[in-house]
Amino acid sequence: MSNVNDPQAASRSEVRQWLVEHRPADWRDAATHEAFVASQRNWFAKLVDAGYAIPHWPAQWPGGGRSLAEQKVLYEELASADAPRLLLSFVSTYHAFATLHECGNDNQKARYLPRILEGETWCQGFSEPGAGSDLAAVRCRAERKGDVYVINGQKVWSTMAQYADRCLLLARTSTESAKQAGLTYFLMDMKAPGVTVRPIHQIQGDEEFAEIFLDNVEIPVSERVGEEGQGWAVAQATLSSERGLTLMELGYRMRGALSRVADLINTVARHDDEGVLRDFGALTGQVEAVCALADQFLENRMNGLEQIGDASVVKNAYSRALRAYSALGVRLGGMAAQYRTPITYGDLNSGNWMADFMNSYAWTIAGGSEEVQRNIIAERMLGMPREPKNWVLA
Amino acid sequence: MMISREELRDSARKGLGSDGLMPPADQSWERLVEMGWFAMAVPEDHGGLGLGPEALAAVHIELGRALVPGPAIAQMLAIDVLCSVPDFAARDELLGAAIGGQRLGLSLALHQAGTLTCVPDADQASQMLVLGPDRIALADIASASQNATWDETRRLFDVEIAGQTVIANGADAHDAYIRALSRLLLALSADAVGGADAVLDMSIEYLKTRRQFDRPLALFQALKHRVADMKIAVVAAEALLWSRTGDAVSLHDLAALKALATTSFCRVAEEAVQLHGGIGLTVEHPCHRFLKRAYLNAALGGDADHWNGFAGRVALGQQKSN
Ligand SMILES: Cc1cc2nc3c(=O)[nH]c(=O)nc-3n(C[C@H](O)[C@H](O)[C@H](O)COP(=O)(O)OP(=O)(O)OC[C@H]3O[C@@H](n4cnc5c(N)ncnc54)[C@H](O)[C@@H]3O)c2cc1C
Repeated sequence: MSNVNDPQAASRSEVRQWLVEHRPADWRDAATHEAFVASQRNWFAKLVDAGYAIPHWPAQWPGGGRSLAEQKVLYEELASADAPRLLLSFVSTYHAFATLHECGNDNQKARYLPRILEGETWCQGFSEPGAGSDLAAVRCRAERKGDVYVINGQKVWSTMAQYADRCLLLARTSTESAKQAGLTYFLMDMKAPGVTVRPIHQIQGDEEFAEIFLDNVEIPVSERVGEEGQGWAVAQATLSSERGLTLMELGYRMRGALSRVADLINTVARHDDEGVLRDFGALTGQVEAVCALADQFLENRMNGLEQIGDASVVKNAYSRALRAYSALGVRLGGMAAQYRTPITYGDLNSGNWMADFMNSYAWTIAGGSEEVQRNIIAERMLGMPREPKNWVLA
Repeated sequence: MMISREELRDSARKGLGSDGLMPPADQSWERLVEMGWFAMAVPEDHGGLGLGPEALAAVHIELGRALVPGPAIAQMLAIDVLCSVPDFAARDELLGAAIGGQRLGLSLALHQAGTLTCVPDADQASQMLVLGPDRIALADIASASQNATWDETRRLFDVEIAGQTVIANGADAHDAYIRALSRLLLALSADAVGGADAVLDMSIEYLKTRRQFDRPLALFQALKHRVADMKIAVVAAEALLWSRTGDAVSLHDLAALKALATTSFCRVAEEAVQLHGGIGLTVEHPCHRFLKRAYLNAALGGDADHWNGFAGRVALGQQKSN
């Protein structure tokens, strides 16, 4: 990867040098969730200071306004240096930022965006027990009473909600109109009376997401994003950041993390095994294709050429490559991959291949499942007829 | 000279598209000559257009999309080799004739020991280039016998050669050889992307029009999802292709591309036959032509196992040295 022809050589070596000095070496040793969260906060603050935390924000923010080429180098280097991903601030720096930036009013932007850099974290309160893939079926109620909305209902699968200061909340203000038209978007204080959060135990041993119970929670009208009934449109801004913008970081991180597979191949002495080399070569091609797709996607988006379904293509290509990456790790890891580690928060570099493999399901299910993306591609990109709305059992 | 990817694509489509799928070989060969495509990658000081790999890719995509028959890949490679070896007496004459459409043979097989195999249209060529990692020769074709492939858009021959003149040795030959190999991988990958895209479009159209159970087949989600996966494979292969058309691209970058693009074309063409049902198994329907071209593309110039293994070995070495 280091190459005399690399036009980003200067910024690459700058990041590399910084990482040598500042990368937390012990982040995998966190034995409790609290310790993990503390190390995440610490790492985020360091990256903010260095101007590496929010390269995708506009230039008015310190560390923002970086070119796509610089961003790629940064993500790749972070992964090769084995730095932890910013799981705790993922929703605040992508989802909350995109939503506020595109749909928030000036007051909301001025209040919340700077606080994100100071470490305030957000969670996303969209999904409910009855509203998963069918997000528009959200039932959580928001009733206007004077200057406040009163919220009652339940949210689920909300990533890091147990540590979040604020929540991007999608709730129902009307049951009269079409499903989508009755939704409204709010910025909710997670410390407000009536908010209860219960972490959910996941298959890889973590408690990455949580349930949120809302019992007569009051949200001031000033915390509404957009007008009443425009929640669906605002939610699209949130989701499109999840399906598009994040994928460049993830793609280039995966590219950087190929070195983990290479290390593993050497460690288990399979470097002359032709079958393993082929699978590694094929994986390299698959990951490179994801990076090329993400590049193309962002370039089109910046030039106003993005088309419906483009983000779905990138997301599915990524989630498949991630599955293949972690599956190869599990296969090569043999028994070593089968031993449990207590806490593995870490996405594609937790240090435990089986945990990474289980984590890869996050990307085939969350943010619109693989099947839902296929529907979008087939129906909205390729013009195949849409599923009839009404159905009866034959 | 700067011509955008879109301009190239449009002019290629205009030139070839009007002839439909699998146009007659002679007719499309004449078009390729008329449109000056064999001069496309030739440097300007040799009388060419001096266009780079991106232009080549754009043209090969269209050749694949329309299943254009003929030895275009071999011809373009031979021309490229003539331009990249040191000057020799007959070079300009040979080059001019080849640009004008006179067939110059070249093997599309990866390993070229003993009998030369996979030489397209060798019966119509009197000479061929014999490429090796440290030796490039110009040879007379003594005899050529066709070894018919399932893919009827290519005619491949086993060739016996007579006299040979070495035109490059050592480092010169090596550079030209690696360059030719890289371009072969790029051309086959682009052909695969074009073919995959076309057969996918055809399948979508078919599913939208064919009705069973009182509804278009396209309404069945089991089929939509397969089509969506085909689309993802094609778009990913194409994105990777365009990211590999720069000037500083090395052989192992193209190795992974060749494996990925030709494998994707195979998968997409297989699905296309299945999605067409019985009609997909008839010779009247073009589906099978894509399937056969896909598999031939996968086999020519080294298969996916070979190139994935190569890419894996290089990537492993690179990670170590970092
Ligand atoms: C790791 C993780 C983190 C998450 N974080 C958040 C978060 O922070 N905030 C938040 O609001 N939500 C979050 N989610 C929730 C996520 O958005 C939902 O899980 C997702 O939308 C799927 O909904 P569901 O789980 O109810 O599954 P279901 O919708 O019940 O789907 C079950 C299965 O049916 C398939 N299916 C559903 N509909 C169709 C269809 N029309 N056609 C074909 N197949 C279909 C699905 O693909 C899936 O395979 C997270 C989920 C995960 C896994």
